[in-house]
Amino acid sequence: MKKKVLLMGASGSGKTSMRSLIFSNNPASLTSRLGATIDVEQNHVRFLGDLILNLWDCGGQDSFMDSYLTTQRPTIFQQVGVMIYVFDAESHEPIKDMEYYRDCLEGLRYFSPEAAIFILIHKMDLIREPQQLLDKRRQELQEVSGDVSIQLFGTTIFDQTLYKAWSSIVHTLIPNASILSKHLSIFAQACGATEVILFERTTFLVIATSSSGTGVASSAVPTYAKDGSDHQLEPTRYERTSELIKAFKYTCSRVREEFHTLELDLHDFSAVLDELTKNTYVLVILHDPTIETAAVKLNIRLARSKFETLQADSLN
Amino acid sequence: MAANHVSYDATSSNGRASRPPLNGSRHSSSSIQRTKVLVLGLRRSGKSSIQQVLFNNLPPKQSFYLEPTYRIVKTQIDTVVPLELWDTPGHATPESIGIPIGQFRSLIFVIDIRDLYNQPITKLVSFVTAAYQSNPDINIEVFVHKSEKLQEDDKIENFRHIQERVTDRLLDLAPEYENIQPNFYLTSIYDHSLHEAFSRVLHKLIDSLPYLEDMLNVFCANSQSPKAFLFDTKSRLYVATDASPVDTATHNLCCDYLEMLTSFGTLYKSTASTSRHSPPTTSEDPQLLSSNGASLTPSPTTSTGVPPQSSKKHPKEMFYPSAATSLHPSTPGTTLTYHEITSSLALLALVPTSVYEGRRGLLEYNVVFFREGVQEICDVEKETREGG
Repeated sequence: MKKKVLLMGASGSGKTSMRSLIFSNNPASLTSRLGATIDVEQNHVRFLGDLILNLWDCGGQDSFMDSYLTTQRPTIFQQVGVMIYVFDAESHEPIKDMEYYRDCLEGLRYFSPEAAIFILIHKMDLIREPQQLLDKRRQELQEVSGDVSIQLFGTTIFDQTLYKAWSSIVHTLIPNASILSKHLSIFAQACGATEVILFERTTFLVIATSSSGTGVASSAVPTYAKDGSDHQLEPTRYERTSELIKAFKYTCSRVREEFHTLELDLHDFSAVLDELTKNTYVLVILHDPTIETAAVKLNIRLARSKFETLQADSLN
Repeated sequence: MAANHVSYDATSSNGRASRPPLNGSRHSSSSIQRTKVLVLGLRRSGKSSIQQVLFNNLPPKQSFYLEPTYRIVKTQIDTVVPLELWDTPGHATPESIGIPIGQFRSLIFVIDIRDLYNQPITKLVSFVTAAYQSNPDINIEVFVHKSEKLQEDDKIENFRHIQERVTDRLLDLAPEYENIQPNFYLTSIYDHSLHEAFSRVLHKLIDSLPYLEDMLNVFCANSQSPKAFLFDTKSRLYVATDASPVDTATHNLCCDYLEMLTSFGTLYKSTASTSRHSPPTTSEDPQLLSSNGASLTPSPTTSTGVPPQSSKKHPKEMFYPSAATSLHPSTPGTTLTYHEITSSLALLALVPTSVYEGRRGLLEYNVVFFREGVQEICDVEKETREGG
């Protein structure tokens, strides 16, 4: 299954940087080496095995933008699954940015009315009062977008916000993510785990968690630990995990090693991070001190085949 | 949990007047003898940034906003040896320090790598000669700093250039200064070179270093480990390592691993449960358990007359966090292990995955022995410091 993802926005707003961070495992410090994108750079990213993201990184210089909106209009806007529109938080030409956005929206509405629209207000690390700016932008963009529903995120390549945004982007592309969630919560129960999180292998974006499944959501809010207490966990934990593991993967690659598994037995919790299927990693969080990480590892091994078939089913 | 700590602090500070702080307490009383280290350099050479990045976890990018230092600032740092860093303003002279320079064990001089003029070197030489006269054994450490500002080739050239000029100037002054052997390090706050350089500075201040190194050697030999570090968890400086040469890449990997684990440790902390592994004394206390982390009166602990920290004096049954990550694909595969040794030290070791998986019990047995040894050394160190 192929999904077309449009990456649009003004020149220098950071489209290619974020692509290199998420999909090529490059650190944020190296993005300054990237040159301007000429015309459209098409990439096929295999995501979850059978799901292929067809990433269209559209160079944002005015001449390219004008041609996307005129001669290339059908090619660009046909069969789009998701459009990601990137705004530079510190843009010098906000009015022009908005005009191009409006035109792109129009093109999308004509050729792919079903497409989901994500708006990233990027380079938020440069902004002094981020929340204010986000609220203001949200209001402006909502007005421009009219009845089209948009999802807006403030992001920067220097912290976890980018992973949060991209995780929800990918989430819309995975059919039946809720089924995966349901099985993860069953798995969590079997392990006595507080929470189980499924990551995609190369990007380490969150695909599903044991506590996010629709329907089971309220009951599945993790209380499997023996003491029966409600564990309240840090709300930004998913994206921060992605960020941490990605950074460590990069470090490993520097010494020509490859990150494989991780197990922790710490004061506050234990955790096992291991391969689940060919293209996913699973993180099992335990707060019950009596459960051994080795037992969880065994459970993961036993669950592998089930999740392989699940994943295959959900993508067909 | 936070509430607990506050009350503990209160009890231990009450007791401090009469009794030296016990093991595990991070509060240092003035009675502890601290090893003094003087940090020198011209203004804007990066003295304060170095300390903030190393010991206050300042993101390197933020160091740009640091205020200049106008007077001498003393910072107490508790690594394996209690340190006192004296940060000086750029215009400091040997006379303006206030105490004889001979009282410092080490002198760290920070030079901006782009600063090839005479000024910093003149200043360095004036301090070095003053120090040498009162204490010929003083360690002279020169950080050629901000190396990230130059390209690779220029970097090496400037580094060599500064080295030569310092030694030449010293020799010009008097032939006896030939004995002074300053150590030069190429550093930058944007990578791990600063950590590595400061670790090496630290090593010269640890009197028990040979024993720690010996134990690491024994550990490595018995665990088939090609490399092991004893790290200070808070500052990510390595306190000791085994005899095999330090490969920068491996050092960086261990540094990053430690950083990742530290960040990870707080990520999935549950607010509902206080701690899964409560120290033995607290679990004996029914009041502590029932209160479940809510505010509690300090009375149960004070009534025993012993601050709870003292109970952490290495009981055998105490829980020590550990972690392991396996790295592929280089055969036969390596596992990077982490074992907490004391509340501030951790052992990081590279172990063949086959050993980690096949003989984990043996490996952990070795860790226990290593831990006991290190704890004993730390205790002795502490006793002598407090006694003196």
